[in-house]
Amino acid sequence: MTTTATPVQPAPGATAPAHNPKSESTTAKRAKSTIFHAAALLLTCVVLYPALWMIASAFKPNSEIGGQNTSLWSSNFSFDNFATAMDGIGGVSTLQFFTNSLILAIGAVVGTILSASVSAYAFARIKFPGRSVFFGMMIATLLLPFHVVIIPQYIIFQQLGLVDTYVPLLIGKFLAGDAFFVFLMVQFMRNLPAELDEAARIDGAGHVRIFTSIMLPLMKPALISTSIFSFIWSWNDFLGPLLYLNTPDKYPLPLALRLFVDQTQSSDYGAMIAMSVLALLPVLIFFLIFQRYIVEGVSTQGLKG
Amino acid sequence: MINRRHFLTTVAIGTASAAALAACGNGGSSSGQTGSAEKPVTINYTWWGNDDRAERTRKAIALFESKNPDIKVNGNFTDFAGYWQKRATEAAGGGLPDVMQWDLSYLRDYGQRNQLLDLGTVKIDTSAFEKSLLPSGQIKGKTYGIPTSTNAFAVYYDPAKLASLGIAEPTGKWTWSEFQSFLKEVGDKGNGTLFGSTDFTGVWWQFNIWLRQKNIQAFTSAGKLGFSKDDLKTWWNLNSKLRGTQALVPEDRVTQLKPKSPFGSNVSAAEVTWDNFMAGYLADSGAKQLKLVPVPSDDPNNLGLFLKPSMLMVASAKTKFKDAAARFIDFMVNDPEVGQIFKTSRGVPASKTQRDGTTFDGADKLVVDYEKSIEQYLKDAPEPPIVGFGTLEASFGRIASDLNYGKLTVDGAVDAWFKEAEDLIKQNA
Repeated sequence: MTTTATPVQPAPGATAPAHNPKSESTTAKRAKSTIFHAAALLLTCVVLYPALWMIASAFKPNSEIGGQNTSLWSSNFSFDNFATAMDGIGGVSTLQFFTNSLILAIGAVVGTILSASVSAYAFARIKFPGRSVFFGMMIATLLLPFHVVIIPQYIIFQQLGLVDTYVPLLIGKFLAGDAFFVFLMVQFMRNLPAELDEAARIDGAGHVRIFTSIMLPLMKPALISTSIFSFIWSWNDFLGPLLYLNTPDKYPLPLALRLFVDQTQSSDYGAMIAMSVLALLPVLIFFLIFQRYIVEGVSTQGLKG
Repeated sequence: MINRRHFLTTVAIGTASAAALAACGNGGSSSGQTGSAEKPVTINYTWWGNDDRAERTRKAIALFESKNPDIKVNGNFTDFAGYWQKRATEAAGGGLPDVMQWDLSYLRDYGQRNQLLDLGTVKIDTSAFEKSLLPSGQIKGKTYGIPTSTNAFAVYYDPAKLASLGIAEPTGKWTWSEFQSFLKEVGDKGNGTLFGSTDFTGVWWQFNIWLRQKNIQAFTSAGKLGFSKDDLKTWWNLNSKLRGTQALVPEDRVTQLKPKSPFGSNVSAAEVTWDNFMAGYLADSGAKQLKLVPVPSDDPNNLGLFLKPSMLMVASAKTKFKDAAARFIDFMVNDPEVGQIFKTSRGVPASKTQRDGTTFDGADKLVVDYEKSIEQYLKDAPEPPIVGFGTLEASFGRIASDLNYGKLTVDGAVDAWFKEAEDLIKQNA
């Protein structure tokens, strides 16, 4: 402390600091950069701590999770929780839950990509009577809270005898039910130069040709962000499967996760957390593979060469 | 677990189902379809619970099917919170499963809306049930639920912890002030590492029992509050000297320990709650042994205790297979072999036939013995709680917690709770 308080005596013969602006700005920059990185690192730690806690807890015995125990790592390190988690629940194997989740998520991605891109093409490129009205109505469905339509939807699917199948969970995706994705793609397509389609049209291409050969390849970034979001949303969806699926062997992971914690009996937090870690992996892998396309999409603004 | 989205969902489902239910009305057929061994009927049965319960229930269903070849049972399960969201949606859509495991706090809600079958109209043997228990499944003379099992209120304590502090184990014959001095002694000798218990005045059911000791009903049969502000004031003032001392676990500590309880985390030596928490407490705390004694009372002949159904069996009012549903319920509540499968994992079997056919050991035996020991004090179980009771019970705990944090005075807390309660009762009237 005392050293900083004493004024620095310039060494004899040394030039005053003001005469060397270059080196000073480098140190200042370096200091700034250090502070910035330290702060960023600290924030990352804060943000990532829950994930770290989850991973650490997955290796702890159930009695050491929560409550009085504050230490992150346990000396009783073991894979027991993973073994319990993989055992499955009520005669249904955990692999089955994973498969169900995958079917639902992949179905959602395929459905959304197919239907949303076609609808977006219609809204962005085809002039038809009432286009703006329909577009407005579609946007309005974004404002409609999901909870308002739960009961009517359930009644429809129940009368159709489709409860306890994957149809109620997937049909909306194949019918461009997610207005958000349609909107996203419409906005993206509007930014693509109209000259491209005009040129194609002059060459004799119809809508189908223009859509498949011109629009789809250019829309790759939008398609990829849509896939990532619809995959993650479907993977994490709890309420939809809860309401529409009855038989445990059709349950996806989020329903299975909840079965480890039972308020009326003893709760196996360890197994639940271990299963959460496992459930996180596919989403993480999916994201890691495709995230560079998102960045690419932003940097090229959807336009190439 | 309860966040804003969850709350909104519940509200939305509730409102929507109320609207849809109004349109439904009564239209049940009088005779149920029956099956034969060659052409069995299939009934749907649903329950909440974990892996362990799923396994036991599967065994029970297999046993039932082998004894009743004309009925197939299709079993489904979810977790407790999701269970009720699903039931609300199904009720609105008219698709409740034939037979369901049920919780007391939802019985009046669904019963009053004619969603549940009057089980008095079908053949279910209730002769082996404690007479004081059955009213808890009945609303205005109609039986909507048959209890599978019971639990009773008790004071838990950890004998090892008391021994380490040199404190004698309680006998269970104590007045409120004796109970409080016991907590104080634990707190004083525990010196910050071990507390007496959580503030027991924040537990709704303990308050309810205290009211019963004074011969006051918590809710009138008309669904109104049966006690006055002064009663609640007296109750919350009971612990005013103990709050902030080591007799009670500090409120911030209680919050930190969630989702575990202070007693399960070895922070307190005693706790008042239902006796079916035994298995959970043993697992959480790792204690070798925990013991149960009756709650304190200033009137040694009236402990206010009663048996509460830990869960019930109900049938859908719209089921096409009334007879099959009734036979399945009868089997699940009365059959001794079913008792042997479930042990006390549903609570202590309510039917004497089932209880006598089950062997209990370890912690199970402690709970069964406790319920046997209080038999002489048991009075009629209260009617199913009013609609929205769950909210009231939760706000009781929350307001008591604010009281312990010092955010509210006793008078303020009483006013706050009464306002919530009266609003809720008005809404549901």
